[in-house]
Amino acid sequence: MARVGVFVCFCGANIAGVIDVPAVVQEAKKIKEVKISIEYKYLCSDPGQQIIREAIVQNRLTSVVVAACSPRMHEKTFRKALLDAGMNPYLLEIANIREHSSWVHQKDKKAATEKASDLIRMAVAKSIANEQLHEISVPVTKRALVIGGGIAGIQAALDIADARIPVTLVEKSPSIGGRMAQLDETFPTLDCSQCILTPKMVDVASHPYIELIPYSEVIELQGYVGNYKAKIKKKASYVDFSSCTGCGACTQKCPVKVPNEFNMNIDKRKAIYTPFPQAVPNKPVIDAEHCTMLLKGKCGICAKVCEKGSINFKMVDEVIEREIGAVVIATGYDLWDPKPYEEYGVGRYKDIITSLEFERMVSASGPTNGVPVRPSDGKVPKNVVFIKCIGSRDEAKGIEYCSKICCMYTAKHAILLHHKVPDSHAYIFYMDIRAAGKGYEEFVKRAQVETAATYLRGRVSKIYKKGDKLMVRGEDAQIGQVVEVEADLVVLATAVIAPKDNPALARLLGVSYDKYGYISEAHPKLRPVETAKAGIFLAGCTQAPKDIPDTVAQASACAAKVCGLFAGDTMKKDPMISTINNEFCSGCLNCIKVCPYQAIVTEEIPLGHGSKEIRTVAKINEGVCQGCGSCVAICRSMAISLAGFTDPQIINEIVAI
Amino acid sequence: MNKLTYFPGCSAHGTSEEFDHTLKLVMQTLDVQMEEIPDWNCCGATSAHVMTENLALALPMRNLVLAERLENKTMGIACASCYSRMKGTKKHLDENPELARRINTTVIDEGEYKGTIDIKSMLQYCYEEIGLETIKSKVTKSLSGLKVACYYGCLLTRPKDITLFDSPEYPMSMDLLMEALGAKAMEFDFKTECCGASFSISNTEVVESLSGKILEVAKESGAHLIVVACPLCQSNLDMRQPDIEKHTGRKFDLPVMYFTQLMALAFGYPEKELKLPKHIVSVEAALKHIGEAIPEPEKVKKIKKAVEAESEVE
Ligand SMILES: Cc1cc2nc3c(=O)[nH]c(=O)nc-3n(C[C@H](O)[C@H](O)[C@H](O)COP(=O)(O)OP(=O)(O)OC[C@H]3O[C@@H](n4cnc5c(N)ncnc54)[C@H](O)[C@@H]3O)c2cc1C
Ligand code: SF4
Ligand code: SF4
Repeated sequence: MARVGVFVCFCGANIAGVIDVPAVVQEAKKIKEVKISIEYKYLCSDPGQQIIREAIVQNRLTSVVVAACSPRMHEKTFRKALLDAGMNPYLLEIANIREHSSWVHQKDKKAATEKASDLIRMAVAKSIANEQLHEISVPVTKRALVIGGGIAGIQAALDIADARIPVTLVEKSPSIGGRMAQLDETFPTLDCSQCILTPKMVDVASHPYIELIPYSEVIELQGYVGNYKAKIKKKASYVDFSSCTGCGACTQKCPVKVPNEFNMNIDKRKAIYTPFPQAVPNKPVIDAEHCTMLLKGKCGICAKVCEKGSINFKMVDEVIEREIGAVVIATGYDLWDPKPYEEYGVGRYKDIITSLEFERMVSASGPTNGVPVRPSDGKVPKNVVFIKCIGSRDEAKGIEYCSKICCMYTAKHAILLHHKVPDSHAYIFYMDIRAAGKGYEEFVKRAQVETAATYLRGRVSKIYKKGDKLMVRGEDAQIGQVVEVEADLVVLATAVIAPKDNPALARLLGVSYDKYGYISEAHPKLRPVETAKAGIFLAGCTQAPKDIPDTVAQASACAAKVCGLFAGDTMKKDPMISTINNEFCSGCLNCIKVCPYQAIVTEEIPLGHGSKEIRTVAKINEGVCQGCGSCVAICRSMAISLAGFTDPQIINEIVAI
Repeated sequence: MNKLTYFPGCSAHGTSEEFDHTLKLVMQTLDVQMEEIPDWNCCGATSAHVMTENLALALPMRNLVLAERLENKTMGIACASCYSRMKGTKKHLDENPELARRINTTVIDEGEYKGTIDIKSMLQYCYEEIGLETIKSKVTKSLSGLKVACYYGCLLTRPKDITLFDSPEYPMSMDLLMEALGAKAMEFDFKTECCGASFSISNTEVVESLSGKILEVAKESGAHLIVVACPLCQSNLDMRQPDIEKHTGRKFDLPVMYFTQLMALAFGYPEKELKLPKHIVSVEAALKHIGEAIPEPEKVKKIKKAVEAESEVE
């Protein structure tokens, strides 16, 4: 005979404010299997759990029903209480009388109380049919896949690899480094970006635990936490990296010039190119869209000058597979195209540039040797107007959010301009100055004092041309007047946006993304580096705009999570999964079609006892099964059973109401 | 023959007679029959909507009801301000059917409002429904040599979700129309800046400063004249010009013409049909540029480009 204990929680006023808890407790006592039914203010507290533990022992309970909040909140807590009392934790059932009753029926206390009693009756009935279950252990593949080789991906890969866990780092472009490689000096300390980044890039290339796969993309991911399988497409580079020494003879001699995306198209690169001198790996790739040999079969100069014979025009894309246990997404960000700012003449005036273009110009290794110039006539500008929040905080033309970094880098640009062109003057139109961060406010002050930059609070409404100058008309809200500034160069701080491929990547990995295309974290406050899918983490701007310090911090946090996941040789897994009784299985294999996790495979068994003939049936891979129950529903032979949700349990619940 | 319901607006019968007249000539050439709405009333212009919302809706609504009775697909409106009031009202009424019904039944005796007519400015009608190709085919006297600055004003393309036409900040339809006539449309940044509109009467200083700026930038662009599509813009830029010149000490000499006057000219109508004496700033000198060869900076650019391209694929 079953002996069930019912424990009803007040949850402060959350439940007791609506539901008549003592009445519910009395109602439960009427069920014949219920041996004890009591209430308590907060069952999840230590004294609350103590009550449950004592009751289990004293009443020799065979199952336990806790009527409280959602199992998502405290199922683990109460299972542990059962375990501590010497009971199998899966003999617990939770009746969710908070989310399912008191919170949603606040206006009808009587009905809410009745519904709570019904939920308890169902849980009691189900628990009677509960079986003892035991956690499953599955082996873990201790290798992490990091997608994206910006500073986020670099940091995560290095930290994981330093813990002696192998890492596969997949980077889309020919070199790692990301946007940080394009920056000159960095706020808030003005240390040179290349100087602090390049050593890390070199570390990645030489680390014994890191496998760097550049010029590649992840195209498929299967499996589950601890046991994923990834397909990676290596794009044809037409250069054999193993023999190429990176001498650069080919790039020098290639006759085809193409706008150089690394330098924001300010200068040209060749059709065979390394994106920048410090690139890692420092090997060229051929841009198939522009190489005349690949397009028209004419040229082949690079192959002629290459002493190592590394050029191979016949190379094709290659797909490789890696088994991994965890994934870190670090695909970074893009910048918003300011074309909708037609009133500024964007696209018509060459001397309106974006902040990243400015960044490349002031970079010592940039296309203009570190001196900002006007694209129209190559002259060094004296009056430079910086406009912030271009596309950010702009529901009409761009996006609603604040891009977070542009206030800071614009202050930096004012300082850099002052360093490079001492007799210049910076005018900065802003809506707010957002400088929250260690040393940030001080940095903005420095820009204001050291460079005497003119900060004008207000939006620019118009830019028009006067001779070879650009007239920038805006509001100075502090004096309540329209002002006009005669500018030689205008720099737009364009919004940070999610990479356009993020949604496709998210779908491929099975994680969610927000309305802007950023990858979603599992919880905005408490689980900021995990996605909702177990074993997939995220770092850097792929989640939201952030600066380098925040990016690095998040990347290291990711690494800690990955190391935690790989701490043991096996991973514990919930036993609530499906099993197939192959005697009943007719072999229709419909279950394979509906399983979203590819957890079902086929198996050949003898046709009958002792028979030599065989038949094909379905079989569940218990490591992969997530217990969703889709197969149970589709099986016409009723051969599949889901532990914790067996037919007797469900039927008991239905009969109880 | 296309039929078009026509709402001229008050100015067409007064200050902007030359607009109305040339518009009719041009439409004749383009084979469009204009049917003026019988017994139309003032759209409420800039005053009604600052007084009471209901009046501001009722005035255009009566016109819409009358227009629907003519059963043409489209209504063309000459004045930008009328256009904005009528199209804005239609959107508002269509989004608030209950309000539409209330106003309809309480103050409008002329019939039921259905919300079926398509409202277009005359520029929009030429650009969208007639099309540049057709217009080009009617040109008998090319305006080549003439450099123009196209001024759209605030209301022709704005607000964007009401007008649903061209770019709200840097429209090009009139520029392209002028190029179809053979003229050269100059790069002009102040296409959609406000001229001061009806403050012309109550606060002339503001209008002089705003319109002055437009004239300055138009002059800077190298244009011989300004082209407009709105009577109020025309009168502010033309009529106020001598005063602006006096107060700023700058000489502009920029005639301000309706796009339809230039169309009529290009379609071969004699100059006297343009009603040029109605202009304050004389048009004569500007029109003399027609036929002049413009030294082609475009060509120079093209040559440069070709040279560049060649050096790329050595
Ligand atoms: C003008 C400007 C100035 C700045 N100045 C500063 C500064 O002074 N100080 C500061 O702290 N921050 C600064 N920042 C911010 C800084 O650039 C970012 O914080 C940092 O680059 C974020 O790193 P990340 O790795 O997240 O992204 P990214 O640098 O964008 O790197 C992402 C990487 O992932 C790769 N990738 C993308 N998609 C895929 C895919 N599907 N598969 C494989 N690889 C992929 C990309 O090729 C790239 O290499 C500045 C930003 C701008 C725009
Ligand atoms: S073959 Fe292609 S990459 Fe090589 S030199 Fe010629 S154009 Fe450049
Ligand atoms: S960081 Fe500053 S400039 Fe950038 S969007 Fe936010 S407020 Fe605007």
